Amino acid sequence: MVFNEGKRYFVDRRVIDRMSATGSATFASYFARLRGDLQNEVEQFINAFTINETYFYREDQQLRCLTSDLLDERVRSKKRGQPIRIWSAPCSTGEEPFSIAIWILENWRQADAHDIEIVGSDIDTKVLEAAREGIFGKRALMRLTPVLIEKYFVAIDPERWRIVQSLRESILLTSVNLVEASQTRAHGKFDVIFCRNVLIYFDDASRRMAAENLYENLEPGGYICLGHTESMSRISPLFEVCRFADAIVYRKPLSDGHG
Amino acid sequence: MPLVRSNSDKPGVDRAAGDPRAALLSGSPEQRWTAARRIAETQAGAPLLAEALGLEKDARVREAIFTGLASIATRESALAILPHLRSDDANLRTGALDALRMMPDAARPHLKGLLGDSDADVRLLACDLLRDQPAADATEMLIALLETESEPNVCAAAVDVLAEVGEASAVPALLHCADRFPSDPFLSFAIKQVIERLRPPASLARG
Repeated sequence: MVFNEGKRYFVDRRVIDRMSATGSATFASYFARLRGDLQNEVEQFINAFTINETYFYREDQQLRCLTSDLLDERVRSKKRGQPIRIWSAPCSTGEEPFSIAIWILENWRQADAHDIEIVGSDIDTKVLEAAREGIFGKRALMRLTPVLIEKYFVAIDPERWRIVQSLRESILLTSVNLVEASQTRAHGKFDVIFCRNVLIYFDDASRRMAAENLYENLEPGGYICLGHTESMSRISPLFEVCRFADAIVYRKPLSDGHG
Repeated sequence: MPLVRSNSDKPGVDRAAGDPRAALLSGSPEQRWTAARRIAETQAGAPLLAEALGLEKDARVREAIFTGLASIATRESALAILPHLRSDDANLRTGALDALRMMPDAARPHLKGLLGDSDADVRLLACDLLRDQPAADATEMLIALLETESEPNVCAAAVDVLAEVGEASAVPALLHCADRFPSDPFLSFAIKQVIERLRPPASLARG
């Protein structure tokens, strides 16, 4: 992750928060704690710096593309009984993988004919805990219709809803650092990867490593969806650009040969 | 519900099977790509990646080799990349430059040599690598270059980098450079702009 001068306040704020949470009177004492990874401080530090603002059905043109084009395309190359695997990484507090699940159930006419496996992963273990809880506020649900909220959520109080148990239990949530090949490899191969709005926070080297790792995690012909302001073409030549009616996505070439 | 959750039996991510050297040097593009990533997992893989880089024609496999050498990030892995800065193949040249940018610490010991290379194109690319070096080091090396560089295009590249990372100590060398190329209006203009940027505001200089 790279934070330039413009993000100084953001960085200062989070370091101060961690110093306060650990009772460190000076930066030097906090830094010593961080370097020694006392009481898992490195993980807490990473958690403080990850950005987790999201909501259901964000950038839904890619979800439309998923059910209009990508899944139909992928099932053509599947053997009978082979599941379709979709990876949401990073998944933050779960809005994206749960959105993918709801969208598919609501919009893909072939949904009942296939096994669909959705995995959500994030480097931030705190957000994964929140995703497992599956409790969301009004703001996260602002783009969902009352009918969908009624169908897939249970109201806890006037301000909070919990995603239904069957949906919570159907999505696997795991920890991953996209730059570490040993961690990404352990997740296996996917048909579609949603990797939105994270590569922009990486430096050039990490971005390239992450792109190569994600390439490895795709089935031949599998698709990767980035955030709408991101371009894989500027990061890596590995992927083909695919222009669909609803979105531009990237694909791992079908053939064994690399071009 | 068609959604399934599986904690095991994931379709495996291919690792290079068998001898990774053989796969890297004579496998299919996919096998070579996978082997390059596997070999890059240890520093000992640098010589093999260097050998393969000289032979590899596939842009995507090359990219994996460059990324591998950059992630190994030793003086030796940087050394393996340097010859490709003088390649006639623009993709290979750019790949080498990008890989060296990814490993600024490992590239540092080679920079003075590159800035003094007999090939002006290499000197020009070397200027670009200084963007990722500490400001004081970059400024010092660019000052030395500006004092002696015979090619105005290389001087222009140095001036461009100074605009981004330079310090005020470069101002005398910049003025001297402008004097050496009086018939190059672009260089004079660029130097004037950079000096304005590098010189501290008058109020601060007085205070």
